[in-house]
Amino acid sequence: MSNPVSFVFSSAFVIIAHAAMLLNVYSSGQFTDVKDFAILAAAVVAMDIVVTILMLTFGQHAHTADFILLLILGASVIFQSCFGGVSFAKKHFITCIAALASCRVGYLLCRDYKWLQTKKKFIWAAIGIMMIVILTLTGSRSMWIDLGFMTIQPSEFIKPLLILACATSIQEQQNKHKILKFDIVYENLILFGIVAAVCLLQWWCRDLGSIPTFAAIYASGFLLRICYPKAKFSTKTLIFAGAAVAAAAVVGIMFAPAYVKERLFADIWNDTSGSGYQQTQALIAVADGGWFGKGPGKGELCNIFAHESDIVFATISEEWGLLFAVMTVLMLLLLVAIPLVNPPRSYFHGTMCAGVCAAFTVQMALNIFGSCNLIPFTGVTLPFIAEGGSSMATSGFMAGMIVAAQSPVIRKIKPKKSAKTAKSRKKGGKAA
Amino acid sequence: MKSIRRCLHIITLFLIVFIAGMGYLVYVINRDAPFYMMHSDHLQLGMVYDRTGDVLFDGMGKGTYEDGHFLDFGNLIGDEKGQMDNTLVARNIDKLNNYSFSEGLVREGGKAAIYTTLDHYANRQVYNAFGGAKGCAVAYNYKTGEVLVCTSLPSIDVTKGYENVADMESGTLISKVMYGTVPGSTQKVSTVLSALEIMGVDALYAKRFSCSGQYINKTGKPIDCHQGWGHGEQDIQQAVENSCNPFFAQLIEDDDMPLEQIIEKYRRLGYAVNDDKPTYFDIDGIDCFRASTTLTDKYEFSTQWGCIGQGDTLVSPMQLMMWQSAIANGTGKMTMPRIIDRVSDVYGDISSVSTVEFSEEIFSPSSASTMKQILLTNGANHYQYSIPGFTVGIKSGTAQVKEGAEENALLVGFVDDQRKPIAFCVLLENKYSTPVTAEGIVTTLLNSLG
Repeated sequence: MSNPVSFVFSSAFVIIAHAAMLLNVYSSGQFTDVKDFAILAAAVVAMDIVVTILMLTFGQHAHTADFILLLILGASVIFQSCFGGVSFAKKHFITCIAALASCRVGYLLCRDYKWLQTKKKFIWAAIGIMMIVILTLTGSRSMWIDLGFMTIQPSEFIKPLLILACATSIQEQQNKHKILKFDIVYENLILFGIVAAVCLLQWWCRDLGSIPTFAAIYASGFLLRICYPKAKFSTKTLIFAGAAVAAAAVVGIMFAPAYVKERLFADIWNDTSGSGYQQTQALIAVADGGWFGKGPGKGELCNIFAHESDIVFATISEEWGLLFAVMTVLMLLLLVAIPLVNPPRSYFHGTMCAGVCAAFTVQMALNIFGSCNLIPFTGVTLPFIAEGGSSMATSGFMAGMIVAAQSPVIRKIKPKKSAKTAKSRKKGGKAA
Repeated sequence: MKSIRRCLHIITLFLIVFIAGMGYLVYVINRDAPFYMMHSDHLQLGMVYDRTGDVLFDGMGKGTYEDGHFLDFGNLIGDEKGQMDNTLVARNIDKLNNYSFSEGLVREGGKAAIYTTLDHYANRQVYNAFGGAKGCAVAYNYKTGEVLVCTSLPSIDVTKGYENVADMESGTLISKVMYGTVPGSTQKVSTVLSALEIMGVDALYAKRFSCSGQYINKTGKPIDCHQGWGHGEQDIQQAVENSCNPFFAQLIEDDDMPLEQIIEKYRRLGYAVNDDKPTYFDIDGIDCFRASTTLTDKYEFSTQWGCIGQGDTLVSPMQLMMWQSAIANGTGKMTMPRIIDRVSDVYGDISSVSTVEFSEEIFSPSSASTMKQILLTNGANHYQYSIPGFTVGIKSGTAQVKEGAEENALLVGFVDDQRKPIAFCVLLENKYSTPVTAEGIVTTLLNSLG
């Protein structure tokens, strides 16, 4: 972000967008005391100004993604503060600050891939430690560690670690070992083992919602790895991989336990007061909100469990309208789509961006489509929007990975026209 | 750079799949939002009107109506409370939803409405004609399928709530028009139609059987005639007019009436025979019972009794009336009844209009024509005075119920008049407990239908 025009424009855009949202809250929101609104507005504007000033000090190390993240987080604070009546969501605001800090940490750690390659073993070890933490501290039917003053979801931290594990193993793809008739890469086996162990652990915790996210991260890494270093995908390999995934899915569904099948094929409208309660209430709220919503703070979904996390898309839709909820999702997509505009600096960073994109899109799909009954409801959080410190910190870190992958802006230097060239052109012009 | 582009392809793939999913989600929400809102506590329902614009259901509850205004249609139109499931409102509540995704809930001025084919005035007259007796009556235009009258007693005024639901008489919360009842001798219409289809007109008219008041069938079981001294030798016309049970028992036993063919013809008429799975007609969402019977051995009492109209045989008054349309039209195709004429959405725009529909051919036009003549002759000979002023084709029935403790009177028929093409069925329960007659109700019904 070395271009001052871009910097000013991006900062202004973020502040104006948040101001417009706050104006909407003020004009059509539901609050009993204007002080509640004032605190919210002050917090959001202060965050915008402070982060913008901080970015000025980052100089070349500030990127478009930083501004998009700020835009999303400010909107997130406004959303969460309005659910069921305007009241500043202090805890969520703090987690948003943590996400911004985490983003910077992610950026600093991931920008130098040569250094990161040397720390590969530490990444594996960190995954191992997280798994041990889950095994020993969460229990077989839980995914949380209760610290009293806060709860932590350790499986969230495995997501960026797994992305890094996939990205750092890319180069090993050149070290193939002939065993029987097969070219084997040892690290592929190790990675597969890690993912399988993580997924089994999630199954054991009954955190089924995280499994597709881990699978997607691994799949994107796997696809990019099997083709490396060739420039083209091997059609045969792709077909084989696709068939294997499809076969695994079919077998998985066939032999899935009863409670999993129940979730997969449940008719929520037949059990509106039981297992389908959250989803039916969410859909009713979306319908009630229509395109433009009932107004900030005027929703009723806030009385439903997990309205601020698992069904947050519906809560936003009810109060702000489906149009605004979709726009919020587009903001999130914009963040992961940045590598398409500003390509990653290396294959390592590309793999990392693909992993982050896989993690975010799958999590968003599980949250949004699950709460709206297009797919089974798994209770996954919506990155940056849903409440939850663990999710915020890891999502921020993953956003930092995208920032780290951005190429520095290089200005094209226009070649000076030499007098000779100009002269010959002049001559040519006369001849014509 | 090429290899990095591969990473971008993966990112693009994820984004495209997700955006496609989002697009589909928005489409689904936009499409199904009215359905979601049907499960909301903040439902805003519209109105149901009769063919003249009289209110049959007021979803907003803001109108003022005379006491008992909704009584005669109570168990057909129903409400949204959930006490009655098989009613017009319960089954079409989505059409009354004053909601659209772009407008949200319209609390004032929503114009969602169902415009029915029903005639509230005629229905009220017919309801009153029962004079407190129980039963039901249904009538429709056999050319267009428009149901005009459909009342069932006892009924309920839905505006008065369900506090005394435990004290309500049996059958209050259902429209008996839609449910199976013992058809009595009206069943003989089906048996004659089957015989016409199996052996043809000439062969059937050539058959003559004798009645001495009781017939001992081939398995030694007695089939009693309602006329103790018998009807003597009769042909099919006389047997229908006399509603002679021994004649029909002998007809079933006849070698020209193989049981397999009787079963086949009954199934074509729409009966669930023996172990056939029971099914329903869908009349604008309302489930209407399809006929059922047991036919196992044509020499056995139960099979013969089933073809005469007792035993296991059950038919809904609606279906009895629908068969009359296939006869009256002379096509062998039933005119499918419709209660909803058109539906308007929350803005008052007509969103759907019903059209005339016919069933498949359930018997041949020649059988329809012959049956029509038989019924018209019966009407001319026996109902000229009890149903004055109308040329009716008609068949009566007396059904023994509650193990013979009570007898229900039935009349099914049609008016043979192109200006007034009405088919009807009247069921008067426990006919000896009331001075009212089925003929009197039919007369009121036809007179009140302008």
